[in-house]
Amino acid sequence: MSQEEIAREAIKHALKALRRRHLVEEGAHGPALIALSTPIISQGSEWKEKAENLETELQQCYKAQSRLSEQLVVEVAESRASKASLKENESQIASLQEELTQSRDECSQLKADLEEKIKALELIVSENHQIRAQLEEMIAKAKNAEAENKMLIDRWMLQKMQDAERLNEANALYEHLIDQLKASGLEKLARQQVDGVVRRSEEGAEFFMDSIVPTSYKHKINAHEGGCASILFEYNSGKLISGGQDRSIKLWDTNSGTLSSTLYGCLGSVLDLSITHDNRSVIAASSSNNLYVWDVQSGRVRHTLTGHTDKVCAVDVSKVSSRHVVSAAYDRTIKVWDLQKGYCTNTIIFHSNCNSLAFSTDGQTIFSGHVDGNLRLWDIQTGKLLSEVAAHSLAAVTSISVSRSGNIVLTSGRDNMHNLFDIRSLEVCGTLRASGNRVASNWSRSCISPDENYVAAGSADGSMYVWSISKADIVSTLKEHTGSVLCCSWSGLGKPLASADKNGVVCIWA
Amino acid sequence: MPIMEAQKYVWEGAIPLQIHLHESEVTTFPPPPPALILAPRIGYLPLLIALIKPYFSSALPPGVDTLWFDYKGLPLKWYTPTGVLFDLLCAEPERPWNLTVHFRGYPANILIPCEGEDAVKWSFINSLKEAAYIINGNCKNIMNMSQSDQVELWCSVMNGNVEAYQRVSSKLKLGTVEDEYFVKPQQGTCETDTIGQVKTGRIPIRLYVCSVSEDFDDLEDVPKVDSWDKISFINRPVEIHKEEGKYLTLHDAIEALLPEYFSEKSLIESPSQEGEDKNNISPEDAGDSKAEEVVNVCNDLEASCTSNAEIKLIRIQGIEPKLKIPFSWVVNNLMNPDYFLHICLYVKVANLNTT
Repeated sequence: MSQEEIAREAIKHALKALRRRHLVEEGAHGPALIALSTPIISQGSEWKEKAENLETELQQCYKAQSRLSEQLVVEVAESRASKASLKENESQIASLQEELTQSRDECSQLKADLEEKIKALELIVSENHQIRAQLEEMIAKAKNAEAENKMLIDRWMLQKMQDAERLNEANALYEHLIDQLKASGLEKLARQQVDGVVRRSEEGAEFFMDSIVPTSYKHKINAHEGGCASILFEYNSGKLISGGQDRSIKLWDTNSGTLSSTLYGCLGSVLDLSITHDNRSVIAASSSNNLYVWDVQSGRVRHTLTGHTDKVCAVDVSKVSSRHVVSAAYDRTIKVWDLQKGYCTNTIIFHSNCNSLAFSTDGQTIFSGHVDGNLRLWDIQTGKLLSEVAAHSLAAVTSISVSRSGNIVLTSGRDNMHNLFDIRSLEVCGTLRASGNRVASNWSRSCISPDENYVAAGSADGSMYVWSISKADIVSTLKEHTGSVLCCSWSGLGKPLASADKNGVVCIWA
Repeated sequence: MPIMEAQKYVWEGAIPLQIHLHESEVTTFPPPPPALILAPRIGYLPLLIALIKPYFSSALPPGVDTLWFDYKGLPLKWYTPTGVLFDLLCAEPERPWNLTVHFRGYPANILIPCEGEDAVKWSFINSLKEAAYIINGNCKNIMNMSQSDQVELWCSVMNGNVEAYQRVSSKLKLGTVEDEYFVKPQQGTCETDTIGQVKTGRIPIRLYVCSVSEDFDDLEDVPKVDSWDKISFINRPVEIHKEEGKYLTLHDAIEALLPEYFSEKSLIESPSQEGEDKNNISPEDAGDSKAEEVVNVCNDLEASCTSNAEIKLIRIQGIEPKLKIPFSWVVNNLMNPDYFLHICLYVKVANLNTT
């Protein structure tokens, strides 16, 4: 064999070997393995698909289930709610039924009542009619009776009037006779006067007596040591009371000029005096800030009125009731005291000090004269200022006196003028002055005569001046005192006139 | 170049494997059945993980997978093509080939580490560069390969796509020797075509020599390889000179590679002795055991054996070609994609040298 052939032979052999190998190895096993794996693979993929489908189905089922369960919950809740509402309704129905039966009962009850009431009403209506008829009868009767009554009364009045006329006539006659009698009596009196004997047989005779202008002194008494600041006559008597620096109050009989009694107890000098209308108590204002009330009969101090914080310079007692005392002190107060209770019932505070006080005749008003020159009126109940009047311009008021009738007030001031005020109008109705007349001190007192014709005042030069109101002029000057005249007083009987001076000398003028 | 029939067979070749999970790694009861797969001859064992893993993943113990195979206790080198391993270790071809797969306990003292498909790819490219160097004296053409070409080349190897491989590899111009005699497949006539300007070239060869101490008549009696010490690995190119009137046979080539297994006579006969190069052993073996394959020629053995060595068996791509076959045909048709010709030899040696 040639090389070529050997070579080709070898190549062919190699190829055959390759083919054989192929058949044995991949040729045999490849298809087998593929065949084995495909069903598995395909099955596997089938199962995968199945599993996926089942999964999705399951998910859908779960979703559906959850939806259903939600619905179920909702439904259950709704059914519960409707059950509950049903129960409520049932119970409501039951209660309503009960109410209904109750109402029915009530209704039937009410019907029965109504029927009764209607019956009663009918009865009453018929009764009413009857009574009305009766009433009308009665009214008619009454009218008749009234008419008769009137007629009778008229007749009776007629009778009475006739009687009254007769009585009047009788009275008139009687009065006429009395008047005549009086007139004759007066005639008698007048005749008696001419005789010089005054008999007080009529009450109120003093009102008809004239005040006598004194011309000379009757007595001159050394009453007090150190000075006499206040003198006062008892009401409608000749008894004189004086109070002085020596802390005593002395009672004098002016007819004889002798000392009747002395009242002790005052601790300071007496600055002002007042006496009750029944002449039983004397009240003194003292420089020791107190007031003392004596019983004249016993001579003992009945009250000591304390409360002022400075010297008491003015005091007055009510003329109506002896109960009320008013006092003014230099502590700028005016105090109202009740003697029955024994203490101060009212305190009036005023910026200007009051020098002098006087009660009105009705006892409701107080007159006060102040350092600022004004005259003020106070109401005693309330303590309120009623009015004020400028009595003395720029000069202190030193004295206030009320006339016996209570119509006129006399004020004296440091301007040496004496003014007369009408109480009701508070207008000056007269001014009196004199050239030599000088008011001695802040508390120099002047006075009016009982018949309101004259005014008397003392002067610092020791003389007493007497003016006539109507003439507005001096009618008399009385000189006797050696010291300045501090105060004066006119007796209620018309005479005498008393005055006291700084040396304690009391002169009695007649 | 049209694809030859033989090349088709070579590329389509696959070994049936029956892969058992090692018992130490079985965690399920019953143990998983062995996996039956076809492994391409020109492919590599680590590339089979994608096929194997699904079979055994459920039975594995927890941990990180480190894949390695063993045949009858011998851990298998992963950079060697599967076909070569089969031809080498199964004297009597075992079909299906029973391998044991391990996912744990990588024997790092015996095998070099393999991280995965990329390690295999780089090993392949490395072999390709070696081959280019042997053929051309430099590996510029490999290194200048475009990224897409590289990817396509490797994919064609992995998928066993010979057409794609031809497209890319023809660009590399790694042709060595023309067939002196080839059989046209269509016509079936034996027409020799002696045109062929064969240049003087060097053929990259990897020799695997399994040395056996005793003589054997039947392949079944070959004692099993239980250690890589028994295998010699020889990496020597063969020089080819064109001679008129004569062609290089397989026998000549083997003689040129392993002169020690041939007598004096045979040494003189083969002219290819002159240009014999002894290349250094590939560093892959790490200088351990050399694989010396003794080829036992079954038939047409002219030279008498010396007292020491006797080539018992020559196997290339699973076949045992005749010694007279033109070596050029062998090279062109039976080479692996990495342009290396892998030859397995069974050699009887009286005294085993382990160096």
